[in-house]
Amino acid sequence: MSVRTLRRISQWAIFLVFVFLFLNTEYKDNDVLPYAVNIFLRLDPLVAGAAAVTGRALISLVWPALIVVGLTALLGRFFCGWACPMGAILDAVDATVFAGLRRRGVVPGTWRRWKYLILVFLAGSALFTLQWVFFFDPISILIRTFAVSVFPAMNRIVHDAFGLLYQAHPGAAARVSEPVYDFLKAHFLAFEQPVFRTAAPVGILFLAILAAEYFQKRFWCRNLCPLGALLGLLSRFGLFRRRVMEDGCTRCDLCEKSCRMGAIHDDIETLHGECVGCMDCQVICPEEVIRFSGKEGRQEAAVDLTRRGILTSAALGAFTVPFFRVEARRKAPDPGLIRPPGALPEDGFLARCTRCGECMRVCIANGLQPTWFEAGPEGMWSPILVPRIGYCEFNCTLCGQVCPTGAIRRLPLADKKKVKIGLAEVDRSRCLPWRGQSDCIVCEEHCPTASKAIILKKEMGMTIAGEPRVFKRPYIDEGLCIGCGICETKCPLTDRGAVYVTSRGESRAVSGGPLGS
Amino acid sequence: MQCMWSRRKFLRLAGGAAGMLAGGGAGIRIFGSEVPEAEAAIAARVNVAVASGASPSENARKAVAALGGIKAFIGRGDVVVLKPNIGWDRTPEQAANTNPEVVVALAEMCLSAGAKQVRVFDRTCNEARRCYVNSGIQSAVEAFGKKRGASDILRVYHVEDRKFRRTTIPGAFALKEWDLYQDALEADKIVNVPIAKHHGLATATLGLKNMMGVMGGNRGQIHYNLSDCLADLHRRLPTSLTVIDATRVLLRNGPSGGNLADVQAQGKIFASADVVAADVVAAERVFQWKVKDVAHIQKALEAKIGVTSPAQIRVVEA
Repeated sequence: MSVRTLRRISQWAIFLVFVFLFLNTEYKDNDVLPYAVNIFLRLDPLVAGAAAVTGRALISLVWPALIVVGLTALLGRFFCGWACPMGAILDAVDATVFAGLRRRGVVPGTWRRWKYLILVFLAGSALFTLQWVFFFDPISILIRTFAVSVFPAMNRIVHDAFGLLYQAHPGAAARVSEPVYDFLKAHFLAFEQPVFRTAAPVGILFLAILAAEYFQKRFWCRNLCPLGALLGLLSRFGLFRRRVMEDGCTRCDLCEKSCRMGAIHDDIETLHGECVGCMDCQVICPEEVIRFSGKEGRQEAAVDLTRRGILTSAALGAFTVPFFRVEARRKAPDPGLIRPPGALPEDGFLARCTRCGECMRVCIANGLQPTWFEAGPEGMWSPILVPRIGYCEFNCTLCGQVCPTGAIRRLPLADKKKVKIGLAEVDRSRCLPWRGQSDCIVCEEHCPTASKAIILKKEMGMTIAGEPRVFKRPYIDEGLCIGCGICETKCPLTDRGAVYVTSRGESRAVSGGPLGS
Repeated sequence: MQCMWSRRKFLRLAGGAAGMLAGGGAGIRIFGSEVPEAEAAIAARVNVAVASGASPSENARKAVAALGGIKAFIGRGDVVVLKPNIGWDRTPEQAANTNPEVVVALAEMCLSAGAKQVRVFDRTCNEARRCYVNSGIQSAVEAFGKKRGASDILRVYHVEDRKFRRTTIPGAFALKEWDLYQDALEADKIVNVPIAKHHGLATATLGLKNMMGVMGGNRGQIHYNLSDCLADLHRRLPTSLTVIDATRVLLRNGPSGGNLADVQAQGKIFASADVVAADVVAAERVFQWKVKDVAHIQKALEAKIGVTSPAQIRVVEA
């Protein structure tokens, strides 16, 4: 078995684990998820470092990242070549969609410096408490894209396809296609079709990363990935590197041409920070003069990172921070900024939140949605509850279980039930019993708190026709209300809920004083 | 037992109908107030069985037996929909969903009557999987099916959006058409198994309200005119047997509950072929509510979808 086969098996196996964990980031009849579904994020040194630095905290959840750091120091950028699911997808796309494509050096080799500059930019901003790693971290991108875009879309396609068969040929379909559909539904498909804001843009960005392969193999990994840059820097002292026996080399250029990272110069020299240890060159070399070992022989080429470039990036990172921080949202938070229960106070939350989408994926009622600008540009794509889409299920603690950095703390159920994420309000000008239109109180029916936070009062009102009549009218007890949003979700008015939740009164609010908010 | 007549009336009736009342070991009473002699003389038409004093499943069996046994309702080869309340993410102790033992007992009875299919489902209010799991109904039914080797006959499953059918309701007061679940529309028999609970709007949720579980779409809208809409629903989907679980009863903060302090153990089961009759008796016995206190029961009597007067109900103690 060649080393190349070993590597492919490794990539496939880890990718399958990734998919398995993704599919199991869901309620499966168990209040507690049985798997560490967020382990990829916790292994990710870029996520770990960014959350810890920006959050100014030692986050115990992310210690697994130290394993990857240690292994990278020993083995080089093996993660990118053997483990990274993004890399695996890009390699698969290369091998299929773009197979046999002759790329003619369209992309300058100098572009590889950008990933380092992006890394420095992110480090600079993280140091000054702005964390934007999510936009560039490949694991975060992958999980988020799968969660809000790819998986819901695939689910839709499969569901509709089988639905068509079912409608068109109910008899025949029941025998053939329905068992297949049942199997898929039990193991792969979502229990209910999820919907997400940002699904299209996030999907398009991911497609752009894949499409970039057209221009250069592993375009993302070579030029943009700050995780790759970080691992490249960490592998400076690695033992396991590409070494060529110079005497036997015929300069045939086969290795250089096949190198997916463009890490080979003149066949002999290697950009060690770029090499991902895929070992294709070793397999392809007709003279068999390439080895990967810890023995001497530096033969190193260097990435052209100018000091000016580094300093500029760092400074840029630091100096963009105040621009994010004078956003109007800082003074007037959006009333729709309803954070998941267990979320840290906003500054700490945004420092740690990697916008990975795990909480949105796992939210059992599909209530957690990515923000656009409710939290300002700084908070883009972080999770908020949108009760018109889904509510916070009273007995559920899944979001706190999956958050990889503790931006959403994992709370025991009893504590979670006491957290107020906001307060409900009745819009009396729209609520049907309040304006004499008809009976209703679906909101009160669903209120889950042990003593209901929606109180019904029998009051004399006037019907539209002008007849006096007793109506049962809902009142919100703000002491009891936890802002879960089920009232707004279930309000039968189809445009906007006559009862709705805002972030007012949330437990996290520091200001507000003893008289409330 | 509630005595609703004046002493005078009772003495007249007791004198005149001593023979009728003396019969029956467990006691048969005419149900209702202000019963004129002439009407009392007509034999009460609809039986409601009340069972207590045993386990929930045994009570269910006794109640159905007192009505003539399950074979009076389910025929061999019938496709049966067994419709419990699985609406809420609550445990059995919280009494928001039907007691799993009662559901299993009814499933067993339907199987013993030779049903071809027994289909257990509900369109829930909270997240469906959590409701099915935490109510205990999913595991109880599946375990029972497995034990009997009847997993292909007895199935508990979630509803699917695509199987709701737009259905017109002829003769409707208010609900002219609605999306109703295909399996309920196609069933040979529907066995309605609610749990008795307090309800903010409806005062009580019993058999009539329980059938909302087969409604699709934005069903909260029927709250705008609950009484009429429930009558119309039953007009379109009559049930063969209603078994009201009053083993544990949610007395306040229904229908979702959550506070064990609101639950009272009453240990009763009510059963009847007539859902309106069952609701009348259960509302009285469980909550001490008269027909006039529960608007949708009052409306159901007027709508002629079952009994039209409490006087037509005969309570049979099982």
